[in-house]
This record gives sequence, C-alpha cells and structure tokens, in this order.
Amino acid sequence: MSNPIVTCRGVTKVFGKGDLAVHALAGVDLDFAPGDFATLAGPSGSGKTTLLNMIGALDTPTAGEVSIAGNRLNDMNKSQLSDLRLTKIGFVFQSLNLIPVLSAVENVEFVLELQHCPAAEQRERAIKVLEQVGLKGMENRRPSAMSGGQQQRVAVARALVTKPAIVLADEPTANLDSKNSSDLMDLMAQLNADLGITFVIGTHDVSVMKRSRRHLEMLDGRISSDTRR
Amino acid sequence: MIVSLAWRNIWRQPVRTTLSVVGMAFASLLLVFMASFQFGAYDTMKSSMLKISDGFGQFQPVGYKDDPEIEKVIADPAALMAEAEQIAGITASTLRSNGFGLLANGERSFAAAIVGVEPGLENKVSKLDTMVERGRALTPDDDAAIVLGEGLARNLRLELGDQVTLLGSGLDGSVAADVLTLVGIFKSGIPEIDRTIARMPLQRFDDTFAMNGAVHIVALSAESVPAVERAEPELRALAARHGLVYLNWGELQPGVKQAIDFDLVTSLLMYVTLVVVVVFIILNTLYMSVLERTREFGVLLAIGMKPGQIGRMVWMEMIFLSLFGNGVGIVLGMALTGYFTQVGISFAGMEEIYAQWGLPSRMYPTMTFGRVLGGPGAVVAAIGVLGIIPYRRVLGLTPVKAMAA
Repeated sequence: MSNPIVTCRGVTKVFGKGDLAVHALAGVDLDFAPGDFATLAGPSGSGKTTLLNMIGALDTPTAGEVSIAGNRLNDMNKSQLSDLRLTKIGFVFQSLNLIPVLSAVENVEFVLELQHCPAAEQRERAIKVLEQVGLKGMENRRPSAMSGGQQQRVAVARALVTKPAIVLADEPTANLDSKNSSDLMDLMAQLNADLGITFVIGTHDVSVMKRSRRHLEMLDGRISSDTRR
Repeated sequence: MIVSLAWRNIWRQPVRTTLSVVGMAFASLLLVFMASFQFGAYDTMKSSMLKISDGFGQFQPVGYKDDPEIEKVIADPAALMAEAEQIAGITASTLRSNGFGLLANGERSFAAAIVGVEPGLENKVSKLDTMVERGRALTPDDDAAIVLGEGLARNLRLELGDQVTLLGSGLDGSVAADVLTLVGIFKSGIPEIDRTIARMPLQRFDDTFAMNGAVHIVALSAESVPAVERAEPELRALAARHGLVYLNWGELQPGVKQAIDFDLVTSLLMYVTLVVVVVFIILNTLYMSVLERTREFGVLLAIGMKPGQIGRMVWMEMIFLSLFGNGVGIVLGMALTGYFTQVGISFAGMEEIYAQWGLPSRMYPTMTFGRVLGGPGAVVAAIGVLGIIPYRRVLGLTPVKAMAA
C-alpha cells in the first residue's frame, strides 16, 4: 500500500469540560490511501462530522494525531491550516456551498485567486474543470440561477480545481432529489476513477453508501466497521 | 477578485444598501450645505464688519491697539504700503491717522475720534463712504472738510455746510485746532461708530495734528477673508521687519470673533452628533450583514481563505458603502449649495437687524475644499476606523463554529 493521504492515530475530540464534556471522538485510528472512494456513515452524534472536520483540517484533536499529505495538523497554526486546506483539501458541503454573488466560473476561480494563480490561468483551469463536471455553457450563471444539483457540481469543480490530495464531502446529496443525487455520485466516482483523487463522503444515504468502494461506520466516536468492496 | 466581491457583497440586499446610501447621502448633503452656508455666513459677517471701517487687516505700531497714544506712529508708511500690496490676496491699502478731540458747534461740544483718511484710497478699504446718507463722501480735492457719523452730527446739531470746530492735541504736544466744513453725514447702523467717528482728509489731519508725514494705521483690503488669512504669515513677517504689528480680523473685531467661535462650537456639537448617528447606523447595518453571513464565512474559511482576508473584505465593504453614500451626498450637496451660491438665502423679517450690523439681507454659502469634504470625510474616516469591530469579529471565527452558526 502506498503512503496514506490521511492518517489518524488515537484521535480524540472532547467538547466542553467537566460533567458537560462530550467525547465526540474516542481514539480513532484510520488511514485513507490515495484513490480511496470512501463513505462514512453513522447515526447522528456518532462523530462522523467531527471526524470529517479533523480530516479536513477544520478542527484540531484534543488528543491523538492527524496527518494530511504528510502534514501533521497538531503542529500547525491557523494560517498554516488555512494554507493546507487551500492546497491539499477540497470541500463539498451539504448546502450554501457557493458565494451567491459570484458566477459559477468565478466561484471556481476564487480558490485559484486565493492561491495567487495568474488570472489567465485561473479562467482556463476553471472553465476546464466546469466542463469536466458537465457544466459547459453555464459558466456565467450565478448560483441562484442553477438547480441544487448544478450548484453541487460547481462545488465539486471548485474542490477539484486546486488538484487536492483529498476531497471531503459532507452530506453532499442531502438536499438533492434521487436523480440529481445519483448523477452527483456518478460524477464523483468518475472523477475518482479518472484523476485518482481520494474522496471521503459523509452520508446518511444508503444509495450513496452503496456506490463507495470502502465504507466506514461510526458509533459513539469510534470506527465500528471498515468494509472494503 | 476580493475587491470585486466586496463591491458585489454590498449589493446583496439592494433595498437595505439603498436605504443606507440614501441615509448617508442625506447626511453628507446636509453637512456640505450647512458647513458651506455657515462658513459663508461667517465670511459675510466678517467682511461686512471689516469693510465698514477697519479693513481686512491693519499694520499698527506696537501697543497702539490697547493704548492708542498719538505718539505711537508709523514713520515711513509708503514703503510698507508698497510691500504689502505685493502680497498675494492683498488688493489695496490706505493710510489712516487717529486723533481724539472735541468737536464743537457753538456751545455744544462732544468728544470724537477724528480719523484722517485718504479720500482717493479709503473707499477701496472701507465702505463707510457708501453709507453717507446726506451730503457726500470726502474727495481727493477736499481740504477743510469733515464727514460725521449721524449720531455725532445730531448731537452737535450740525447741518450740511455748517462749520465745526476741532480741538485736540498734536503729535508734538501743540494744540491741534481747526475749523472744518461738514460735507457729509454717514450712517453705518452701528451706534458706536455713528456717535463717535469723524473723518477728515489725511493731509489736513497731518497739518492739524502736526504728524509730519507719520500715520497710525495702514489698513488693508483683500480679495476675501480666507485670502487675507492665507497671507497672514507674510503680513506678520512684513510687520515685524518694519517694527510694527499686524492685526488680523479677529484682533480687530474681537466681539465678532467671539460670537463666531461660540456659534461654531455649538454647530460643531450638532455636526458631531450627526456624524456619530450616521456612522453607528451604518455600522449596525454592516454588522448585521456580517452576522447574517457567518455560515458563508465558515465555508470561505474551510476552502482556505484566511480570517484576515475575510476581515479585510468586510472592511472594504464598509469603505465602499461609505464612499459611495458620501460621494452621492457630496455631489448632491454641491449641487444644492451651488444653487444657493447663486441665489442666496434670505431670512424674512431679519433684514433690518442685519442692516444694523452692516450685513446684507441675503446670505450666500461659499464652497471650499474643506467645507465640502470635511463632514463627509469625517463620516468615511469614522466608518473606516470603526470597521475594526466587524473585522475583529471575523478574525475570531473558526470554520467549524462559523459553519454551525
């Protein structure tokens, strides 16, 4: 097995103190390899969003270690974590993913702008990735003029345009109908196959879980099962 | 793109933004107009008062103002006049001598301030000549002539053509005595002037009071009060070179200066209140906008934007909004002020009171760079500084907490 993209060792996250302390993660050990196409499921409160936040460098563990593409999060400050998210991680959230006042292409360009990518290259790369996610001809539409499925495709395009090591999607299909949900999963599976980018998808949706090659279940802050197909 | 994003963000809520812009524009319009009108009125008051008699500024011997002894003189005024008229903004100068004496008509006599003036030049500095109600002003051909204030002429029961006897003390200690013919009676509207001032030709004064070519005052006229204020450092330096002092309008008319200063303080309180109210309304609006977008900021943080970048974007939004609102206000304020600059503003029923102080019945606002930009600039600057509040809030955001908002 090649070097993992994500390594979690004994990851613990405790919210609150004393009697009010909540152990959201209770010593998670986990690796994601390059090219994984994994789903993460579990009942509400099981810790899957907290784990996704750790893997996404959005939060730091109370104890244990998280490494992403060789970068140990515990040693990084806020600014370094921002840079890591910008360069190594793509995000697709459940809703309100996009900046409403920017067009589809501008939303995708925006992360390249944050990376100080030259303007001409920004536009070229943004248009190319929008084409990859099936949004050719819709580049100049604002999110409000697009369907939920199309908006999620723009979010996927934005996540991919920086060529990240891993894309994290938290309930990406939760607000989509079954057709759009299936289309989005087809798209992510295709991109995973074509580009080799690791996808980790947090979901409650059984149809989404069925599409993954690796499925993790969480319960009470621990990985209760890890199944590869 | 962040600049473009900030501009677009302020138009997310077009109604709210429009209301903010209208509010700021109205406040700026008021600030521009009120400052231009208020300072324009001050300029009118100053120049009206100064033009009656004093002039826009004066050169005097040291200590003469507080203790106007006849011995304190400007021995060589010609060189001083020539140099003063070279200074930018100064349009004319004239010589004056002052003596104190008794004016008598038969058995009636009254103390008076006798002013020797240059009839050909005096009217360029003072408008007292235009206030002659009966008879005429002094002319360069006059010799044994005198013009009296209306109150003084009445007290002495003098009519035009009557002779008046002058008795005073000359520069050399001799008795200054003369008999002059009343050629004109002026009414300035200021009782103190009308009851005490008598004007006679400077040459005759020189002979009568044995001045031997010396004078007490070189009075100046200028394009405007601001123009003479700009020239003040040069005028003071010139006075110092001649061993004299230069008196500006405030020193010549301390009462007017005090009244203006008092009015200015009360007005400033009003301006500051207006600025503070507008600034906090706008700050509140923008802070609300920041709170509403907390989740979106969380997404921006998640995709790699740094808190400082988001904070600067929010700060930029505040600056854009304030520049836009105040820009509109400045344009509208300048248009309104420009209109009244042409037509003036008249306060019905105040004409007589104004006339008593030598003021015109219409007041005209005057626009300057400072008056136009002062108030709106204060709004923009205050919003710019207080932008630290939403900026600091954004700095404190973490992606997880912000997205959970």
